[in-house]
Amino acid sequence: MCELSGKLIAWLDGELEKDEMADVRGHIRDCIECRRQLEAYQAVSRTFDSYRDAVMASMTRRQVSQWVPVLSIAATLVFAVAAFLVFRHTRVEALVPPTSVKTDPAAVVLETAAAPKRRVHRRNAPALAKSKITNWAPNERSIQIAIPAESMFPPGAVPEGVNFTADLSIATDGSAQQIQLRPRLIEFERRTPQP
Amino acid sequence: MTGDSIPIALPLSRLASDGCEVTALYRELRGPLLRYMVCLGLSTDEAQDAVQDTFLSLHRHLATGGSRENIRSWVFRVAHNRARNRQSSYDRRFTEPLDLETDTMQDHSTPERAVLEKEKVRELGNAIRQLTESERECLLLRAEGLRYREIGEVLAISTSTVGETVSRAIKKLAEKCNV
Repeated sequence: MCELSGKLIAWLDGELEKDEMADVRGHIRDCIECRRQLEAYQAVSRTFDSYRDAVMASMTRRQVSQWVPVLSIAATLVFAVAAFLVFRHTRVEALVPPTSVKTDPAAVVLETAAAPKRRVHRRNAPALAKSKITNWAPNERSIQIAIPAESMFPPGAVPEGVNFTADLSIATDGSAQQIQLRPRLIEFERRTPQP
Repeated sequence: MTGDSIPIALPLSRLASDGCEVTALYRELRGPLLRYMVCLGLSTDEAQDAVQDTFLSLHRHLATGGSRENIRSWVFRVAHNRARNRQSSYDRRFTEPLDLETDTMQDHSTPERAVLEKEKVRELGNAIRQLTESERECLLLRAEGLRYREIGEVLAISTSTVGETVSRAIKKLAEKCNV
């Protein structure tokens, strides 16, 4: 083992004093053993660089692949929800005799106030009433009443844009079976309300 | 990832004075810093966060009249300490099984050589995991082109200790990898 072999790596990195650098350079020229070691150290340094590139590539790839399960779960959920919505309507309407939905004037919408904003509501109301009816027994009748908030609460108690809808279902003998009072945001009327 | 601007909100008046300097340093050191931290075990997201934090600190440092001497080791030291603060990520890479992407490696002149090179990298990766933390850090900083003096400043150890550590680490790797 040469006495200068311990300085080979520092020499490779240019970290020795000027005279030491010259000494080692001279020594390497003569010593086969040190030259062989030096080559090995250089090879390790080169492979080390490839290693760093490989680590970077694998981490970048891992970052991309981390999203794959998340995205596939999201896609599955969207598909499941879409399928549920489509098949739910199909199934329920199939159970109901067509006459009770199409020709029965059960979907009566009464409105106690005629605010211009509520036009949106009115347009969607028959569809809403229909979906209500189809979820109930076919011989029941349903009335949906929109109630302005100010008729029930003092001014300022209910935020602007909030309205109330009462759903009534009436049995064949004329008695009220079910009353549901729901606060509604007028701005969100276009959305399908949750049953 | 080739962002050229500094994605941090800074007062424009301040940016005008040392903005060019910070931007130039950002362009020069962003890549090496990211690679250093990812090789230490941080995820690319964590490393990017840490790089942004580091350059925000650099801006504050320069804006408050901090020293411009040895600015490269200053930046690496701040980044290194941020990486150390995420200790769990920091240790992760070296406890998980080795998972290397070797398909992107350059030397594909012949299929045999490519396979050989991949095997070498894998072997070296396993040997690197056997090194001490300090040895790994020294080698990674050395590979980013830092001088021993700068590495000492980053890791808060003396220059001679860096020399000894680098020498010992390279010898260990050369022995284990039998190259």
